[in-house]
Amino acid sequence: MTIFTINDVRKTFITGEVAEEILKGIDLSLQQGEITALVGASGSGKSTLLTIAAGLQPASDGQITFNGRNMTDMSQEQIRKVRASEFGFVFQSAHLVPFLTVEEQLILMLEVSQSKLKKGQQKKEIGHILKLIDMEHRKNAYPASLSGGERQRVAIARAIIHKPKILFADEPTASLDSKRSKDVMELIRNLTKTLNITTLMVTHDEEMLAYADHIITMKDGLVE
Amino acid sequence: MNIAWKEIKKSKVRFMILGSIVFLVSFLTFIISGLANGLSQDNAALIKNLPDGQFYMNEDAEETYNLSLIDPSIQEKVLSKQEQAAALSIQMGFLNDDEDKQRSVAFVTSTDSTLFENVKEGEIVLDRSLEEEGLKVGDTLTNNQFSGKFVVKGFVDQQKYSHAPVAFINMENYKEMHRVNEMQLLFIPAGNEFPAIKGLQSFSNSEFLNTIPSYSAEQLSLNMIVWFLIVISGLLFAIFFYMMNVQKIGLYGILKAIGVKTSTLFKMMWTQMLFITVIALALSIALSQSFNFIAPDGMPFSLTAVTTVQLSIVFLVIGFVGATLSGIQIKKVEPLQAIQQGEV
Repeated sequence: MTIFTINDVRKTFITGEVAEEILKGIDLSLQQGEITALVGASGSGKSTLLTIAAGLQPASDGQITFNGRNMTDMSQEQIRKVRASEFGFVFQSAHLVPFLTVEEQLILMLEVSQSKLKKGQQKKEIGHILKLIDMEHRKNAYPASLSGGERQRVAIARAIIHKPKILFADEPTASLDSKRSKDVMELIRNLTKTLNITTLMVTHDEEMLAYADHIITMKDGLVE
Repeated sequence: MNIAWKEIKKSKVRFMILGSIVFLVSFLTFIISGLANGLSQDNAALIKNLPDGQFYMNEDAEETYNLSLIDPSIQEKVLSKQEQAAALSIQMGFLNDDEDKQRSVAFVTSTDSTLFENVKEGEIVLDRSLEEEGLKVGDTLTNNQFSGKFVVKGFVDQQKYSHAPVAFINMENYKEMHRVNEMQLLFIPAGNEFPAIKGLQSFSNSEFLNTIPSYSAEQLSLNMIVWFLIVISGLLFAIFFYMMNVQKIGLYGILKAIGVKTSTLFKMMWTQMLFITVIALALSIALSQSFNFIAPDGMPFSLTAVTTVQLSIVFLVIGFVGATLSGIQIKKVEPLQAIQQGEV
């Protein structure tokens, strides 16, 4: 089932008098519960496309439809609400809140998404996710005391704790070594399959493509 | 979850530094304000202790009360119409005790009134500070301009003028000492009619205080220091929160990206500002109030609860404004920019 569609999306950046078209009319759709990988050379526009799809920057033209709703017509506040409750994000770096423990990072995300879970259920859900990422024993640790791999696992847990419909991952393994990259991708795949989450992922790493259901290659702002 | 509190707990040193700066500035402000108030009392308690009302002095005196002479006919007219009004004179001078020790005092005399001490001829009522210096009821005092002797009849609290203790004397004795028949001032307390009197200029209590030589200069300097300190504390808040916010731009961007409202980030900053300011103020209030009790006798220090509360409110408002101004960056943060910056 198609949950997310991008129709003829264009993005032009204007610097001074120079206008540069980064996306030149992109069409794609995401199927529920599947992982779609966006690949391409640097500058091909894949990260720009991901951030536009995630509502982090507006498109210059075109239409984005999520769950039957036209996101290009939404206000900033409506987009924020969608980001908070229906999207999950994993970035190149973990970007954890430095003064919150692992457990508190997840509580914060549940609060931001206005999850209706009661305290007891929240604890249970957090325990469950921490078990899935094998971080139960580090739930009271602060980000500074975690390894790079552990931090990225916590970032993934934060991205899915509120059961988003779509997970946007921008090179989630870029800062990890080969072994940890595989572990993280295994984790993303298992979690998205278990929770039926749709994933749009940007990657440079060809080894990671093995975990994707669909691969979209971009070149010079167009889908090849 | 209170993320403001979580950050304070995790970054104790950073917040303690800001807190201690706010504490020091507010403590200094309270102390200087106490000194300003103390000096003001020391300079003009006689006037400040009077109820609100209107002073009158001769127009020709050009706002210098000791050059003023009230025409006796006008004085009689006013006093006969206004029962609570009084005519008074103030003159700086000296008193000598039995051991010929000289003390500077402000001689004050008035017509019959409940507002001032009424003393019989040859009697004198003094400010309590002179009792603390060793004078007692029954002691006799002299003045080189007075033919007789003054017998101390009693002491009164908080009656100072021009940094000297007040000595209330009888009107006849005053006239003999200063060779005048006219009084310098008329005072009509509030609740009565304030008539416009030809040839006399009227002043409210605070306007009259400013005619006292040195009073406004002294108060202006001290109050300027107090307000400078308040402005400095506002700037400190703005600069400190600005620096903290610059360091946290990446974090704010990520929080916005995951859906945290901008208003939540502002609330976080305001909570932290409130927490720091309240603790810093509580400490400086406690210390400055203790100072109120331990200040050396000769130091004119008076920090009232009202002044403390007023200054505390000003500090809270200034802190809020400073923090909010620096927080404008939070509003400008773009999530995308933060993500592209890398790890926070």
